[in-house]
Amino acid sequence: MKPDLDRLVPVCVREFEPYIPSKPDRELQKLYGCRRLIRLNNNENPLGPPPGAQEVIRRFPPPRGAVYPSGDSYDLRRELAAFHGIDPDQVIVGNGANEVITFVIKAFCEPGDNIVTADRTFAVYEWVAVFSGIEARVVPLKEGRFDDSTMLERIDGATKVIFLCNPNNPTGTYWSRDTLTAFLDAVGGRQIVVVDEAYFEFVEAEDYPDGISLIRDYPNLVVFRTFSKMYGIAGLRIGYLAGDLKVVDMIRRTCVVYSVNAIAQEAALACLRDDTGHVGRTRDMVRQSRDYLKEEMGGMGLPVTSGEGNFLIVKLPGSDTLAYRKLMHEGVMIRPMTGFRYPNHIRVTLAGLEAMEAFAAALKKILA
Amino acid sequence: MNPPNRHSNDTLGLQLPARPPFLDVATGFVESSVRALGMGREEALKLRLAAEEIFSYLTSHVRPAEPVDIRAVNGLYYGRVEFRFSVAALNMGALNITATGQFESDEALAAMGLVIASRTVDRLRITEESRGRICLAVEKEKTYPPSPDRTPPRAPFRDGLTIQRTPDAETLKQYAGEVARGQADSPGPAFFDYPGKVVDMVAAGDNQVIAAVDGAGRVAGGILFRFLTERIVEIVGPHVFDPLREREIAGALLDAAIAAVARTRAIGLVSLTGLPEPVRSQFEPLGSLTFFRDKGPALARPAWYRFLHEDPGCPVWTNGALKDFLEREYGRLFLARDIREVRDLGETKKGSSIFSAEIRRERSEVVLRPLWPGDDLAANVERHIRFLREEGFLNLLFEIDLGVSWQAPLVPVLLGRRFSPGMIIPFAGQADLVVFQYHETRP
Repeated sequence: MKPDLDRLVPVCVREFEPYIPSKPDRELQKLYGCRRLIRLNNNENPLGPPPGAQEVIRRFPPPRGAVYPSGDSYDLRRELAAFHGIDPDQVIVGNGANEVITFVIKAFCEPGDNIVTADRTFAVYEWVAVFSGIEARVVPLKEGRFDDSTMLERIDGATKVIFLCNPNNPTGTYWSRDTLTAFLDAVGGRQIVVVDEAYFEFVEAEDYPDGISLIRDYPNLVVFRTFSKMYGIAGLRIGYLAGDLKVVDMIRRTCVVYSVNAIAQEAALACLRDDTGHVGRTRDMVRQSRDYLKEEMGGMGLPVTSGEGNFLIVKLPGSDTLAYRKLMHEGVMIRPMTGFRYPNHIRVTLAGLEAMEAFAAALKKILA
Repeated sequence: MNPPNRHSNDTLGLQLPARPPFLDVATGFVESSVRALGMGREEALKLRLAAEEIFSYLTSHVRPAEPVDIRAVNGLYYGRVEFRFSVAALNMGALNITATGQFESDEALAAMGLVIASRTVDRLRITEESRGRICLAVEKEKTYPPSPDRTPPRAPFRDGLTIQRTPDAETLKQYAGEVARGQADSPGPAFFDYPGKVVDMVAAGDNQVIAAVDGAGRVAGGILFRFLTERIVEIVGPHVFDPLREREIAGALLDAAIAAVARTRAIGLVSLTGLPEPVRSQFEPLGSLTFFRDKGPALARPAWYRFLHEDPGCPVWTNGALKDFLEREYGRLFLARDIREVRDLGETKKGSSIFSAEIRRERSEVVLRPLWPGDDLAANVERHIRFLREEGFLNLLFEIDLGVSWQAPLVPVLLGRRFSPGMIIPFAGQADLVVFQYHETRP
């Protein structure tokens, strides 16, 4: 007898459309008939992990595959704590920053509550809320930025968490330290404020705040960081959150321990200890690629939105999803932005110059 | 976009055996239920008549004495009566709209069967909800007064533009009235002629409208959208009433509609009723169907599409006779598809095929969809063509789901009987749908 899924599955889950990740490269190449595939869709670092982390991956002893990792990333939390000048119990490590988003929503929200975030930002805050039966209040960006005053207006007694993405994916805009602290002052500890700093290490602007340094003054602040972007270990899935001791103690109750594998924990440690200039090399590559693409896109008459982070947005004269398919036939994979509520825009990862040249040539060809 | 806003008191139900003595119970339940749910006397009587035909039909041909669930549903702007029942494979063929107790007796068909039930209602639809579990639904729309004022307003539009994502009832009525005024010479959806209906369509939750309002609060444009299938949203519009700002207003309305559905289960937007020129570059032309009318020449019905996400690609099943069409269209649309040919290698087929029929009387249109395979595909298609034409329908469409391999053998059957492929709608079924249209629908 078949299960009665209409009765068993909550409406918020039934109505939710699962996100379908892209197929493996070999399948995509077969489908689109392209001999190579340059992935510029996920903001990965083409330089890969720092040398120390590469060594960890290479030398991981196969017998250790049979042994459970540290269930709460013990060593990594201690090193992260030392790195940030906080207590190890202020840190929770997750299977990518996506997992810690889920921890936070589970810890603070129940049906009837709401979260507040922006309409054009990383989608996972909204997704996790919606399939958990939590209302997601999405506030339109104002001039490409999180709109602090309107977000404050949308807060009510049922608002539990406010999600900010700083710098914002996909616009690359950011709140300065003054804007963020003014916002935190206005919230006044009544809600949890999450600042997702996935692209923290790419930002060179002087007034850009280090969220973790503000936790002491704002105990309702929770900061996310990831090793997927700058540190190039997206394939290992590891990220973390930091917050006030009592707040993190609550979040820890919703964590699934042992979700972070041993290679990821050790590679992350090696990333933190890197002294080879990995961050500087990556920033140089991103800067060079950004300059190149801005000039190329400008030459094609295509407006570019470019801020902080290893990506930029290009506005196209027509459909972004059609451009995606045409570019796939040319062997270049970008991110169409309709799903980010930016129709007719594409987001392009700032990778090596050769990849940027291939993208620019393909775009010229499909728009000709 | 929210699911339809149904409350438990919007549906009334009854279960009873499909036996002739219960006919009055069934029809009495249908009439009194839809009356209690807000339908007028005339509409309730028509639904009662349809229910009488259907219940009689079930008792005699489909599943005598077996339980039937009857539900009366308040759709706010329409009433729907649903009959749910299980059928055995042996008598499934009786569910074809053209079927009677004696399939081969053509002269009996026009006077019997489900066709007669469809005559008193606006829509009739048969769907298989699970293996062997059928839902047969009839819908009758409420009667609304037409828009009272068709005189064009003389005052110019003012500067300023506000996008209203949840316009109030008066704004909706203004919007519908303006659309109706604009489509007097070029037929669009008839519901715009009845602004009260548009208000109820939005209140019911299965349609959404976004309005653009100028600095003086006058409606300068709008767009209506709704789920057409599980994963496809149909947009109607954007309509712009201020010709001087067509590009700005159409763009803003479309952006707002996309923002509303971008993170829902929808994978694509389809426009079947025309797009204003300034936003066409954001869509891809799917093709065109012909809309035959009682009066006036036939009209072209171009359709437009845009994905909301990356095309995930998929395998599609077809007969060799359609392969060239598919390769050409997939190439034109840059869709990644693995075309797999289904060949008849002599395997045994048995039983009666079933086509679901969605009858849209206001458009003189029937959409046929294969529901069940069988060994009588050609005869079944011919029977449907013959009787639907005799019934006076001018527009016959047949949808083939390329994600369902057993539907592929229908392709040569349709091509050999004056159906031709008009367009592909990506992911409108389990995979893409090919819409075939019958030509020379006039007897």
